[in-house]
Amino acid sequence: MGFREALDALLGTGRIPEADTERLFAIATARVTMQAALGLEPAGSAALCFRPIDSARAARVRGEIEELLAFGREETGTSYRLETDQYRYTWVVLEDPDFEDLVAGIHLISQTLIERGYGPYLLCAVYAFDGNRRAYWIFTFKRGRYYPFVPVDEGRDSACEFRLRAMLERELPIETSVEEWYPLRGIPL
Amino acid sequence: MMRWPRDWGLQSRMIGTVAMLGVVYAAFVGFLVYLGVGTVMLLVIVAGALLIQYFLSDRLVLSGMGARLLAEDEAPQLHETMTRLSAIAGIPRPRLAVVDSTVPNAFAAGRSPKNAVIAVTTGLMQRLNRDELEAVLAHELSHVRNRDVVVITIAGLLSTAAFFIFRFGLSLGGSGRGYRGGGGGQIDPRAVLVIVALVAGAVYGASFLLIRALSRYREFSADRGSALLTGQPSHLASALAKISGLMERVPTRDLREVEGMNAFFIIPAASRGSILGILDSHPPVEARIAALERLEREMG
Repeated sequence: MGFREALDALLGTGRIPEADTERLFAIATARVTMQAALGLEPAGSAALCFRPIDSARAARVRGEIEELLAFGREETGTSYRLETDQYRYTWVVLEDPDFEDLVAGIHLISQTLIERGYGPYLLCAVYAFDGNRRAYWIFTFKRGRYYPFVPVDEGRDSACEFRLRAMLERELPIETSVEEWYPLRGIPL
Repeated sequence: MMRWPRDWGLQSRMIGTVAMLGVVYAAFVGFLVYLGVGTVMLLVIVAGALLIQYFLSDRLVLSGMGARLLAEDEAPQLHETMTRLSAIAGIPRPRLAVVDSTVPNAFAAGRSPKNAVIAVTTGLMQRLNRDELEAVLAHELSHVRNRDVVVITIAGLLSTAAFFIFRFGLSLGGSGRGYRGGGGGQIDPRAVLVIVALVAGAVYGASFLLIRALSRYREFSADRGSALLTGQPSHLASALAKISGLMERVPTRDLREVEGMNAFFIIPAASRGSILGILDSHPPVEARIAALERLEREMG
């Protein structure tokens, strides 16, 4: 606990930390290893999940993002849709067979939200992969790291997740404490 | 870059309260050192530190309140809500517990964010809708993030010590067969004890009021934290109104219907006086709701 945090705690003003997107791009290179070593191919879709804020300003930012998305659809052919899940979080779902375009799209949208001051409300980015099963890499913006999630019915295939970690440890900033590997049900991908 | 508004008034009142508490404590310690009770004081502080550990133990608080830890599969939605809120707040997810009680309430326990527990009553889960429940969880999460358990306990450490000095000093100094008026230069040790006890009592009284004020400010802070985390101050406001029964006080019957019954005479003047207010650990719900509404306007 640093001095700043201690002071914030004493004053009761603990703030919401900013998003950390420094290592968000790492997935772009990790994908090669996924293909070679595990036979997992990009599923052609990725998503960004954030907490919607009710205000006039937030509505403007949302409009701006939709403009960006519409622009991206024309430029790179990345299709998109906006969804609200049962916890009322907003999902921006991108679909594009070109993985690089997906990574660039997720980066652009998250960067725009951060610049407009909504970085603290970014929950995660999710990349879907397909092989003999569906696997996800989830990037949490607060911790700035990835972790694997392989859902099986109501549970998860931990053995597969640990294998994913072992294979990609060198290339991907992976969340070290497995207690933070929270499952995410109902990913709209 | 957008920034959330800061509440400088609240900040300065909080700093002022902590400073006054510091002055009261420093004066008390100075008084004790002047009397030459260094070792006694040390022992009291050590005992107090031990008491802290004891009272902060989350398990003790939980069993004292009759709370039961919730397994992940018992309340998956509640856990998921908590997971996401803590992810946004950037702290580890606290454990969840439930108290079997119809009274709608919630509390947070635990020394640090790492071993924190947030408990809700069954009454709270029944009365509130999902948005309101989320806002209450965010309020408790803000208590965890602000380390309110530690802050209030440390603020109260010397106050508790002063209380015990007051109690024992008075019973020791006051015992015996009356007061023997000293004939010479020798000071009656019992008289000294009584003076120490009275000073300790005054310190206790002053610090008690200051800690209560501090506690009220921390409630405002946690309300603010909830509003920032959820982005929806109105959710917490409506949860507070429901919990406090404020909504039940708002009549549902038409004015014309009740006018004949002289309704204006039986509306209770329920506003509490300020004298009572300074003893409360929580600010009045109306003030909290007003603060949330102000925040909502600033956030727009």
